[in-house]
Amino acid sequence: MDLRSLIAPRLVAHAHCDIPCGIYDPTPAKIAADTVAKMVEKITGSAGNDDASRNLYIRSVAVKEEHAQICKKELLILWSDYFKPEHLEKYPKLHDTFWKAAKLCSKNKQSVDAKAAADLQAAVKEISDIFWATKK
Amino acid sequence: MRPATLLFRVAVAGRSMEPTFRDGDWLLARRLRRAPRTGELVIATDPREPARLVVKRVRAVAGDAVALAGDHAGASTDSRDYGPIPARSVVGQPLLRYAPLRRFGPVR
Repeated sequence: MDLRSLIAPRLVAHAHCDIPCGIYDPTPAKIAADTVAKMVEKITGSAGNDDASRNLYIRSVAVKEEHAQICKKELLILWSDYFKPEHLEKYPKLHDTFWKAAKLCSKNKQSVDAKAAADLQAAVKEISDIFWATKK
Repeated sequence: MRPATLLFRVAVAGRSMEPTFRDGDWLLARRLRRAPRTGELVIATDPREPARLVVKRVRAVAGDAVALAGDHAGASTDSRDYGPIPARSVVGQPLLRYAPLRRFGPVR
């Protein structure tokens, strides 16, 4: 056993902060949702079987999936960390709204669906509106 | 969670005690059996998750109620969020930082 592991504490004392710097913002979720919609457009509009077209197609799919995941992550941060019980009292549908929005992220990750992408944008906007209303 | 020995070591995790403690500091602490006093550094069980320890400073003491605050108030979750804690939740007091060595020394 080396010295370091010998003298290392066995216990952790948390000097923690639930709200690092208190900065929450729905904008990253919006950008991610908009990116998903844009990628759906690119995928469905892509034609041609040459390397350049196939490359764009594949990249668009990859970016769509990545940003659907980013959108979900950003929404979950707002949901679990920003929103508090008092917000829920004022917006009783909040949990449902987030749950559906998170599901839309999954749906957009799995499929190429312009309607699902538009629904996700609308869901993020709804959450964004609630978020900014709580900031007033 | 209560330390088993009179002296015990803890690793600081998080930045709410800056500049007093930095994330990753290693501290030697002693078990504290008396009531904590205002201004002291303390290690206490997290009122929201008793298996976890927190390190904070005593902001105020009123009877059995102890209010904790991080030195880096802007980045600390403490009694402002979870309210005062009972004095018996305070389990220890940091005495000394032993790592990193360049900042070795007593803490208060």
